[in-house]
Amino acid sequence: MSDIKERAPNQLMIFGIVGGLLGIYLTYILPLAGEQLGEKVAIFLKTIAPVAGALGAMCAVVWGADAVRRVAKYGLGTGVPSIGQIAMGMGIVAAMFGLAIVKTLVLAGPIVALITASIIGFIIGWFAQNVIKMKIPVMIRCMTEIAAAGTIIIIGFSAAVAGNFEFANIIKLVFDNGVILAVFWVGAVAVLHPFNACLGPDEKQKRLLYLAGSTGAITMAIVGIAATMTLGASGVITLIIGIILWLIFYKKFWDEVYNDAASVVGTGLIPKTEA
Amino acid sequence: MVAIDPTIITNILLIAISGTLICIAVHFIPVGGAPAAMAQATGIGTGTVELAAGSGLVGLITASYMYANEPTASMVLVLAAGAMGSMVMLASTMFAGSLIYAFGVGVPFASAQIKKDPITGTRQDIYMSKGTQGQGLPTVCFVSGIIGAALGGAGGGLIYYVLVKLYSQSVLIGPSAAAVAGVFTMGVFYVNAVIPSYGVGGTIEGFHDPKFRRVLPKDAFTSFVVSMICGVVAVMIGGGLI
Amino acid sequence: MVLDLTMSMAILALMGALATIAGCLEDLESDVGSQSNPNSQVQLAPQMGFLHRIYNKAISGEPISNGLSAVTGGTVTAVLLSAKFYPLTAIVIGALIAAFIYGIYATTSYAGRVASQTRFKQPLYMDIMRYTTPSIIAHNFIVNFCLVAIAYIQYEILGYPFTIPFLALIWGISVGAIGSSVGDVHYGAEREFQNREFGCGLNTALSGRIVRKAESGLRNSIDNVWFCAKFGGPATGIGLGLTVFFSSWPTTLFGYTWNAIGVGVLIVAVMVVLNRLVEINVKNAYGPYKEEKNEKEVKA
Repeated sequence: MSDIKERAPNQLMIFGIVGGLLGIYLTYILPLAGEQLGEKVAIFLKTIAPVAGALGAMCAVVWGADAVRRVAKYGLGTGVPSIGQIAMGMGIVAAMFGLAIVKTLVLAGPIVALITASIIGFIIGWFAQNVIKMKIPVMIRCMTEIAAAGTIIIIGFSAAVAGNFEFANIIKLVFDNGVILAVFWVGAVAVLHPFNACLGPDEKQKRLLYLAGSTGAITMAIVGIAATMTLGASGVITLIIGIILWLIFYKKFWDEVYNDAASVVGTGLIPKTEA
Repeated sequence: MVAIDPTIITNILLIAISGTLICIAVHFIPVGGAPAAMAQATGIGTGTVELAAGSGLVGLITASYMYANEPTASMVLVLAAGAMGSMVMLASTMFAGSLIYAFGVGVPFASAQIKKDPITGTRQDIYMSKGTQGQGLPTVCFVSGIIGAALGGAGGGLIYYVLVKLYSQSVLIGPSAAAVAGVFTMGVFYVNAVIPSYGVGGTIEGFHDPKFRRVLPKDAFTSFVVSMICGVVAVMIGGGLI
Repeated sequence: MVLDLTMSMAILALMGALATIAGCLEDLESDVGSQSNPNSQVQLAPQMGFLHRIYNKAISGEPISNGLSAVTGGTVTAVLLSAKFYPLTAIVIGALIAAFIYGIYATTSYAGRVASQTRFKQPLYMDIMRYTTPSIIAHNFIVNFCLVAIAYIQYEILGYPFTIPFLALIWGISVGAIGSSVGDVHYGAEREFQNREFGCGLNTALSGRIVRKAESGLRNSIDNVWFCAKFGGPATGIGLGLTVFFSSWPTTLFGYTWNAIGVGVLIVAVMVVLNRLVEINVKNAYGPYKEEKNEKEVKA
């Protein structure tokens, strides 16, 4: 395949939003469905429901990593990490807000959080572009996207640890023991690392997306370990699926590396160049 | 319509002010970025966000510990504890960095932006090595960094103080007030540390740098607005409106 | 728990010692993997035609990557502690798992960055990958162990309001910031460009011309860390050790009062004076650079 077709930003955005929200809502809906269907099915569905949250968050990781790639290609001046930090900072503020203020209409929580994150991301992007004069064409759109992706990542992984996205649950099972910090930070690195690790003139989107899948899977595995403390069996399933997904994406990443690198050698001296 | 309680307005304003303090603090801390790590520019050889966040978060630890052990402490004492922790971290970092510049790399300290150090009066330009923009940490940069760290630590401590008082009265959050307030502080910290780093462009030498006067107003304004929004969000999380 | 003064001071000394070790090892880990700011030169070198055998690791900067491994270690430790493991075992296992994850991130970074430098013909050396990555994991394990141990002491024994993952994350970010500010200068300004004269900053014209041929054979990251362990690492350890020790020492000794704050400010003032003494000492020992001195004499 000589013609390298890149995935369109809108395609990845839809993947991230739809996949993410689907995963988050499944953590809530599956146990409810299980209660209607009978005992054994109920227990089974209740156990695998949190895994859906982690899978949804992984979709958002892939989306966020691509958004970081688009904005960082312009050369941010302070480095890629800062945009990831600000995005996750906004993401966590918006996530807490969205989930906390919906007392009666619990199902609206993630959507409210998503909209809030997008608004805050838009405002900061607007200020960065017009007041601080960063002069990056895609700044506003990408900042909005990264903030939104950050929120879905946080809610998705928190739901995987707490069982569902009800705020009282999340406070008790995710904030109190400090696991929210792991979700926040490892999620942030999962979004930042792909572009930073593939920095260079011959950076390819396919390799970056596989690496994003790999980092997302590592986050899922860590969230699974934390979930063994809060949920028990669900955590073990999340951990195992995370490890399997990591193996798949890591292998695919290495295939692309072997494909893309100038040469992969066992050992050797430095090749002669003009310098 | 919800009746606007004066304490709510105070809380939102305090959070906005603390965010602005953090933003201003970043402008004081002398950061040279990647060039400084190679003795090519004056200042500490790291990124603005990382150093400000690191020192501010150490300030958060000391401020929260002060509040946890002395719940009756006044707001100023908690802020001072935060400022102290932050100052200690930055002073240790800068001092250890100076040792490396002096004895590991073997360069005298010089600032590229001024001819004479405002605090000690020593000449700077003749000590600048060829092809560089200064190196090391002259005294004015050191003092500027200390001031910045104090402001950053105080800012972080202020957000934490306001939020932990607010959330410990909330029905929804109550016993987990410290954890939720700590996480929220961290989020606001990062948002407010990245905004000035965009404005500064990655390197600044401190309050004597001409860039300081140029970028501080618009960065502070942006920070104030964004922190005000975060303040509104924070207050609503504690309330649980809908 | 309430402790008497002797016990508090002993615990504080232990925390200071753990922090010193963590700081030293963090800087050495960033040297053996060539992370953060000096890595920009390693990244630049192939572009200027200088291919190299140095491990090009970039995990979004040291504070973030050390925060990552610290928070992972803290989380796994918290999980194990809630399963009633003995604290020391929990901390060791947590640190180990975090170090392995960190190693995975390191391999992807080296592979990814070299694969994006295809046009400069930089090869990806698998032997460098194979013997440097375990070294990175080992250094990172010690850093994690020390940081999670500090977090555990602060949470369980001293009663800080934040939980172990949170405290570990904050110390991880701090150790990364300190390592990036202190030790990386020794690596970036001295070891990476050791073929130049000692005693000057890096001339911008020399960007990218890193040392690739070592004392005997081709230079790699293990050679770099051997050198930096003699000064850069310990200096970073001093930085973090002083931070951890002095941020808690005033309140331990003087209680939670304004006296403690005053003592803290005094400590900072002493450091300002010490910096000034170093500055004067260095200026007198080295003198101004020659060209400018001649210029000054011509003007006078």
